[in-house]
Amino acid sequence: MATAASAEMKWLTTPTRRRRPDQIDKKSRIPIYISTNPVHVNPQDLRELYSTCNHSCHRFPRLDQLGRVEEEPVDLKRLQIALSHSSILVSVFCNPHHVTTTAINGNQRMNPMADFVQNLFPLVSPTNGSLVGFGRAVSDLGLTASIYDVMVTPSLQRMGIGRMIVQRIIRMLTSREIYDIAAICSENERLFFKSCGFGDDTLSSTTMMYTRTISTCHQNDWNVKQAGRKLLLIPPCPASRTSVKTNKS
Amino acid sequence: MRSLHLLAPSSFSLVLFDCQCQISSHLLFPHNLNNGIARASRKLKISQFKASFWESIRSGFVKNNMTRVIEPPSLPDEEEEEPLLEEFVLVEKTEPDGATEQIIFSTGGDINVYDLQALCDKVGWPRRPLSKLAAALKNSYMVATLHSVRKSSGSEENDQKMLIGMARATSDHAFNATIWDVLVDPGYQGQGLGKALIEKLIRALLQKDIGNITLFADSQVVEFYQNLGFEPDPEGIKGMFWYPK
Repeated sequence: MATAASAEMKWLTTPTRRRRPDQIDKKSRIPIYISTNPVHVNPQDLRELYSTCNHSCHRFPRLDQLGRVEEEPVDLKRLQIALSHSSILVSVFCNPHHVTTTAINGNQRMNPMADFVQNLFPLVSPTNGSLVGFGRAVSDLGLTASIYDVMVTPSLQRMGIGRMIVQRIIRMLTSREIYDIAAICSENERLFFKSCGFGDDTLSSTTMMYTRTISTCHQNDWNVKQAGRKLLLIPPCPASRTSVKTNKS
Repeated sequence: MRSLHLLAPSSFSLVLFDCQCQISSHLLFPHNLNNGIARASRKLKISQFKASFWESIRSGFVKNNMTRVIEPPSLPDEEEEEPLLEEFVLVEKTEPDGATEQIIFSTGGDINVYDLQALCDKVGWPRRPLSKLAAALKNSYMVATLHSVRKSSGSEENDQKMLIGMARATSDHAFNATIWDVLVDPGYQGQGLGKALIEKLIRALLQKDIGNITLFADSQVVEFYQNLGFEPDPEGIKGMFWYPK
């Protein structure tokens, strides 16, 4: 999709909520770089982000006992295909230094001086930064759009990055007059999307997914396709239905 | 009487009778036939039928001859495989007065947006801007249609073609797909046509390993989709929609 891809730098404030009572409540600002240019998305980095965020391309991934996604990393070729057919791609980068220190220390600053100097010259860009957030949307560029795979690296969550990604996607869609925007989300993502302005369908439609597997079907011969942990049943080709002679009186 | 019987994809041979009729005029949508062959999928079953179908048309007809399945040319590693053009007769009825009605299933052809608008009116859907409709159709991963072709007995000149059903799906071509706008003319409902449309979409999507197939069903059709293998809110997965404040 020919888009006027934009990229800009923003400042984020780390969460002010105290993690521990004795912790000093200090805000620190970190620079991030948000881009809608598909060129900035490196499929390998993205694949790693999927793993870091415990996110799968399949709706029903295999999970281990702790609820972690337990499957092969997504095939790069397929990921590239998915990316090339997504109407909108949003990626967020951050200085690698900030990803780790925030993870370790939460609010505390390891070295205030180093941080200060670093922030004077924010050099984060897609080339030298780490991919920390991502989101994409698939649209028919006329009526509807679906948002998929919104994720933010765990150490930088709850800082508004996710919401920034979603709002950027929405902005790009509405600028093309697409207002029917759906986000298919699991239970634990619902609150997040609600805070981004999403709600249940006003027309009370029911979200449904194809989940027919061998065990839920009474067919005798079947072809199946693996999707995550589900073995989906492929509907058989229609039996020969030609030459139905009807006698219309 | 001239007649042409096209068998459904599950049987891979094509039986042609009475070869004097012009096949090309029976095609509703003037496709580029070469396109169909060149983009043969690696999934042999479906592609074999398609290759044999188009090949047999191009190679001419032989009376009462069973055309053999032709191996599609093996392609170089083609990453982007577009959904194939496909068209076949789903149902054929012969009326006592000799007129025939064929219901033709098709994917990959062009749709007349005015016909679609008229069909949407028939099922009672609110009107949407035609330009948006056209763009949506053009950028959908797959659009499946059903047309009714009524031929009066005798001359072939009075064929009446009418759009009676449609379903489309958007997809990222790899993991996710959403089915939108499924509709069947009220006069043709209850015959399994909607089921055929949806099953075709699912089949095409699954064969491309696109496993997350979603749709948003109005309350009165939830049962219809349940019978086709769809589950409401599976494992708590819900669709949420954006509302501008």
